[in-house]
Amino acid sequence: MNLSRYWNIVFYRALAGVKAESRQNYLGYLWYLLEPVLSTVILYFAFAKVMGRGGADYVMFLLIGLTTWQWYEGACLQAASSLKLKLHILQHFDLPKFLFPLVSVLVSTWKFVCVSGVVVASLMVVGHRPGLNYFYLPAIFGCELLLILSVAIPLAVIVTYVNDAMTLATSSFRILFFVSGIFFDTDKVPVAQRGLFYANPIAGIIESFRNVLLKDLPPNWDALLRGAVQSTVVLALGLWLCHHINRRIMKHVAP
Amino acid sequence: MSLPDTTPLIALRQVGLAYASPLTRFAPARDGRVHALHDVSFDVFEGDKLGVIGRNGSGKSTLMRILARIYDPDTGRVRFGRKIHVQMLSLGVGFEGSLTGRENAVLNGMLLGKSRAHMLGRLAGIKEFSELEDFFEMPVATYSAGMVLRLGFSVAMETDPDVLLIDEVLGVGDASFARKSQDALVARFSSKMTVIMISHDPTIIGTFCTRAVWIDAGRTRMVGTAADVAAAYQKTSSPDAPPRLHHQSGRLDADAPR
Repeated sequence: MNLSRYWNIVFYRALAGVKAESRQNYLGYLWYLLEPVLSTVILYFAFAKVMGRGGADYVMFLLIGLTTWQWYEGACLQAASSLKLKLHILQHFDLPKFLFPLVSVLVSTWKFVCVSGVVVASLMVVGHRPGLNYFYLPAIFGCELLLILSVAIPLAVIVTYVNDAMTLATSSFRILFFVSGIFFDTDKVPVAQRGLFYANPIAGIIESFRNVLLKDLPPNWDALLRGAVQSTVVLALGLWLCHHINRRIMKHVAP
Repeated sequence: MSLPDTTPLIALRQVGLAYASPLTRFAPARDGRVHALHDVSFDVFEGDKLGVIGRNGSGKSTLMRILARIYDPDTGRVRFGRKIHVQMLSLGVGFEGSLTGRENAVLNGMLLGKSRAHMLGRLAGIKEFSELEDFFEMPVATYSAGMVLRLGFSVAMETDPDVLLIDEVLGVGDASFARKSQDALVARFSSKMTVIMISHDPTIIGTFCTRAVWIDAGRTRMVGTAADVAAAYQKTSSPDAPPRLHHQSGRLDADAPR
């Protein structure tokens, strides 16, 4: 009974998040799409010449990288402050603490799903027909969701105790943005550095999305699997952390 | 005929709690722990109307949060006789400004420990009791503070927990709703429900409760009938505030009405 109650709490709060976001801006839901499109336009002009690439394919290449990245970064950073912002609620209700980062992840995931629909539609417009490899998309999606949860849940707890972690997280994401293969292909990475490159699971996920959507190839299973194992271990630790601090955390932050 | 069950529903033994100091590297005082409770022991029985009395800062609210399982004590023990839901009367806490009154009623009820199905079946009653009418279908961000309290109270009245914790507040909203809400709460005191009310006002404790605990500087000073405890408390300390029956300020989430 409690599990379905928790799920419904998360669902209603996520619904509130989605509604609130659309109400806060004049353009509402349109921003879901405008955000990655604007970044794509900027990166296209910045990198098309440098990388010596151009044309519709490079636009799609960037768009896939950026939407994938934005889901990851947006969800994790939103979740990071989610617990700290809702402490006044936790002063009144005995709830598992991971519910709050979960709400942020759900809102960001909903955005990503909306944008993905548009990305796939634009792919067809520029001539990329969906192939059989599309059946692998749910697996890649699942790997990224797992990665996001594994970062978001422990981060939300740590930020509540030590606010400095928020600054660290923001800086880390800024660095990761440049080394995750968002605006360059994996084969541009020197072979010697590939191990390090794939230690960052989002790199393998971005590459896999592109394999399927742009090249009609299967995902990079090796990288996905390693990322999934890594994420599962970290997520388990994060859930244990939530359990451990459940009836302690409020003593640290209360009056 | 069997004897009344004398196993306590909740048993507290030598309960102590200190708030931790924030984790700061360069703050001058490292040991900034605030000791809120030192040694509190008492029992809560099924159907009790228990008053917890004490001055401001005596540890009453900390005790409430221990009972509501917001945190575990650092020392001593709290034993729950069976799996029970202990809930503070929290009006409008956790409301989301972007959701309608109806949606918030369901969400809030779930925060208060009920299932979605339970809440869906009680929406009509909540709408009626809150007197919100068409506003029930509007986002809570459009509500006045009084309306928020009315909705919060109406939800609370449909989500009775096993043990209800009341922190001073008895009636909310404008004059007519205050009377109505006070009546609804007072009815809880004459029901079979287990109610724990904290207050610094011996008159309130003496009027509504049957048993009482006096907390002084984080320690149990006296446990007994409400009348005895209220009288003893009154003797040593003049009430530090006039009787307070109405509560006017609403509290909302960050994204609620601006």
